Amino acid sequence: MEITDVTKTFKTKKAVNRYSMTIEKGECVGLIGPNGAGKTTLIQIIADILEADQGEVRLDGKPLSTMKREIGYLPQYPNFYHWMTAAETLLFMGELSGLTRQELKREIPDILSRVGLASEEDSKVGTFSGGMKQRLGIAQALLHKPSFVLMDEPVSALDPIGRREVLNLIQEIKEDTTVLFSTHILNDAEEICERFVVIKSGEKIEDTSKIGLLNRNGDVAIQMTIGTGNSSWWEHVKQLPYVQGVKVFGNKAQIYVNQIENDKNRLLGEALQYPIDIRNFEVGGIETIEEIFLDLVVDV
Amino acid sequence: MSAFSVLTKKEFSQTVREFKIVWLPLVFILLGATQPIMMHYLPSILKSVGGMDGITIDPSVTQVSGAEVMASTIDAQFNQLGTIILVVSLMGVIQSEKANGMLSFILTRPVSTLSFVWSKVLSQFVFLAFCLSLGFLTSYGYATFLFSTVPWNEFLLSMLFYFVWLLFIVSFVVMVSTIFNSQGIIALIGIVFLFFCAVTAGLHPILALLSPAGMSLQAISLLATGTMNPQVGWSFFFTLLWIGITVGVTYFWIAKKKFQK
Repeated sequence: MEITDVTKTFKTKKAVNRYSMTIEKGECVGLIGPNGAGKTTLIQIIADILEADQGEVRLDGKPLSTMKREIGYLPQYPNFYHWMTAAETLLFMGELSGLTRQELKREIPDILSRVGLASEEDSKVGTFSGGMKQRLGIAQALLHKPSFVLMDEPVSALDPIGRREVLNLIQEIKEDTTVLFSTHILNDAEEICERFVVIKSGEKIEDTSKIGLLNRNGDVAIQMTIGTGNSSWWEHVKQLPYVQGVKVFGNKAQIYVNQIENDKNRLLGEALQYPIDIRNFEVGGIETIEEIFLDLVVDV
Repeated sequence: MSAFSVLTKKEFSQTVREFKIVWLPLVFILLGATQPIMMHYLPSILKSVGGMDGITIDPSVTQVSGAEVMASTIDAQFNQLGTIILVVSLMGVIQSEKANGMLSFILTRPVSTLSFVWSKVLSQFVFLAFCLSLGFLTSYGYATFLFSTVPWNEFLLSMLFYFVWLLFIVSFVVMVSTIFNSQGIIALIGIVFLFFCAVTAGLHPILALLSPAGMSLQAISLLATGTMNPQVGWSFFFTLLWIGITVGVTYFWIAKKKFQK
């Protein structure tokens, strides 16, 4: 799948700006970015809900609007006709996707039990909670066995149990399907995807694999964790002559020094002099995805 | 199954589930019955309420034919309260799908915009034509029973003429429902514009020819005079043109995704 130079402007705000990327068959791509970065807009353009002002999206070399059968789409807040039951909704969406009634009669109980809604087959969608609608949305997106699944924030609205189930489900479907999903919860992306695209203000700022992301600025830092209530220590560290920079995340920080060999001991000595509660002191520890993410998207 | 028939089937089952299939036919049966009954009892009501002095109604004036009663049913009931009810029952037809996101959801499936628009217009038209024909039949029955026999061909032809106007009402409200996002605005524009059409059509023969309400005037005049207006063909042609334009605008609006905020 190819996305070329997609641009979309709402009134004066550029939601997506000259965005290009290529997704290979079988890949699982996590689209991460802060709220308002343009993730939903981009996914809606790919799903052919919004029309791009510029640029195009192609699947197997054909314009995407002719390939809708191959696409499964899960909106951020899936909504269905409240007067239909779960099974009727799937029958309706499935028939629209071009499946026959017989196929659907076979598939629907199966897919409902996969998303954990087997007992709700004949309940009205109007009585469903947000999480149940999300599951029904996932069932609907997978029903016609698409080769490409688009999911807009599939787990953000779920409780921890539902989140785990849905993540397992995505793990399962990515075995034989190309998956693109957006999220602002990094651990989810980290868990499922091999490839991440970081998007901010409508522009792609990073497109890399998990390992690439973690290795990017890896080993010169010292990771340090201290007890709470000692934040003046960080100010003190910043003043030290051999310290290049400090990045603080709560009671945890990365400290960049000139010469790791000597300076780590000097820093530890300094820390022992200072009245703080040292929890962890580690050299060369790698940044977590979250730290890298904050690094990328937050303007300092 | 084709997308068109799936969507049409969904429209009909929605009509059943939301009990529209019960209350809308009832409303039109009541509307159809009101006019003949009122006209039949009006002289005796006036007689019993009014005093003996002053103006009295000459009973011979109210000797009208059944066909004339039907004509006034269309004019005073279907074209007034009937239109308001039609607009109210149609105003959410696309607006509610936009509001809950089903419209964009459906269009992520391999569904052409044309089959979406036609499934809406035709399924609503067929259902409302059914309701209206019950109203026509009721009015026909009462008019024949209380006044004089209405000729079958006049009754059927006028009903068919009126259905052309109904198709315009449906396609017009569907268009307004696609463009605007608030039900109140949709209802207001729908009712005001349709009344405007009906009123202006009666002002001048040329306007009657061009106005989409021309076909409802043709239905009334056919019943009132018993003769077919020779210009009915032109009225028919222009109304179809209007229907084409409104469906075209709806199609364009959805195809270009202008419904997205």
